[in-house]
Amino acid sequence: MMNPLSELRADALRELGNIGLGGAVTALSDLTGVLFTLEAPQVLPVEGTQLPQVWQLAPESPVVGTISRITGDWPGEGTFLFPWDSACVLWQLLVQMQPNGLADLNELYQSVINEVSNIMLGNYLRAISQMTGFTLNMEPPAFAADMAMAVLSSVVVEAMYGQREVLAIETAFKTPHHQFTGYFLYLPEVGNLEKLFQVLGI
Amino acid sequence: MAASAIQLAGMGEIVVARGSGVIGCIGLGSCVGTVLFDPTKQMAALAHVMLPEASAVDANAMPGKYATTAVPALLRLLDTPPAHASRLKAILVGGGELFKNRSQALRIGERNVETLHRLLRELRISVVFEQTRGSLGRSFEFDVATGLIRVRVVGTPPVEHNLAAALGMLRKAA
Repeated sequence: MMNPLSELRADALRELGNIGLGGAVTALSDLTGVLFTLEAPQVLPVEGTQLPQVWQLAPESPVVGTISRITGDWPGEGTFLFPWDSACVLWQLLVQMQPNGLADLNELYQSVINEVSNIMLGNYLRAISQMTGFTLNMEPPAFAADMAMAVLSSVVVEAMYGQREVLAIETAFKTPHHQFTGYFLYLPEVGNLEKLFQVLGI
Repeated sequence: MAASAIQLAGMGEIVVARGSGVIGCIGLGSCVGTVLFDPTKQMAALAHVMLPEASAVDANAMPGKYATTAVPALLRLLDTPPAHASRLKAILVGGGELFKNRSQALRIGERNVETLHRLLRELRISVVFEQTRGSLGRSFEFDVATGLIRVRVVGTPPVEHNLAAALGMLRKAA
């Protein structure tokens, strides 16, 4: 399967995750008026059947999420995932109301999550672009609300299409003010990683 | 359906049960849980299919991962040559498109379902139960001894269907 990443390269990917999502959570804090902080990023190969191990949600629990294809010098899939209760925190902060279950998830609630994803991913890509000089573009986020495993496996399958291995750079973000955890996964095309390491000189 | 007895197929995996046992998949999005059942042996094999077609390099890595490699692998596990495959019955669950308004959608769920239908048609295997496509994620459990299938979608109670007759298991009831 995948050649194991050297510790140095895994460190570089984690640092990139840190820098990218650092910009993204600052944008989320500005948007909501609430401080968000990052957990340490993880770099995980998704081999065959294995999903990111640290993602410990119950497989059939409801989550809300988005996926955006990223094109340019470091292509891949960027995905935000929010457990239902965490999504409700975001809705309360941003529109001062929340849906009464999945059946009540109207366009407004979906567009809030899409907009949060849009702003955060834009800032993530800007931070990475500034560090690497890469040109990076994103397609508008697509929305899903369903059981955790169904959403996550659909993301992995999209990323796996046309390549043998998938790598996930996962970062969780929290706030001390609410019961909230958000997850961001970047699933880069593994074939394009060399280019990134060249630019970083490792 | 005791929880301890369930054999779950994870992404790309295959599980088999003969005579008794419960097999299933949790959280199918675009993936398709593909069961082939042999009523003469009361034996079922289930693949958690992720993608329609294998790339050349990966064809043998995990046969359950691709529709085109999973179906022949299920036949082998059921010890059924393709010429005799028409005695088998198929169950398909999954193949949804969970993400709305995806630009340049790959339509993987739809293509998984289409590819499986084509392969099963070529082998003259009839699909006796199908809950596929649409925009929902699904879980299911199939009891090999009774022919009962239980399908779950998020936010609603599970729905049970009795497939004993459709699967040719009526002999037992007589």
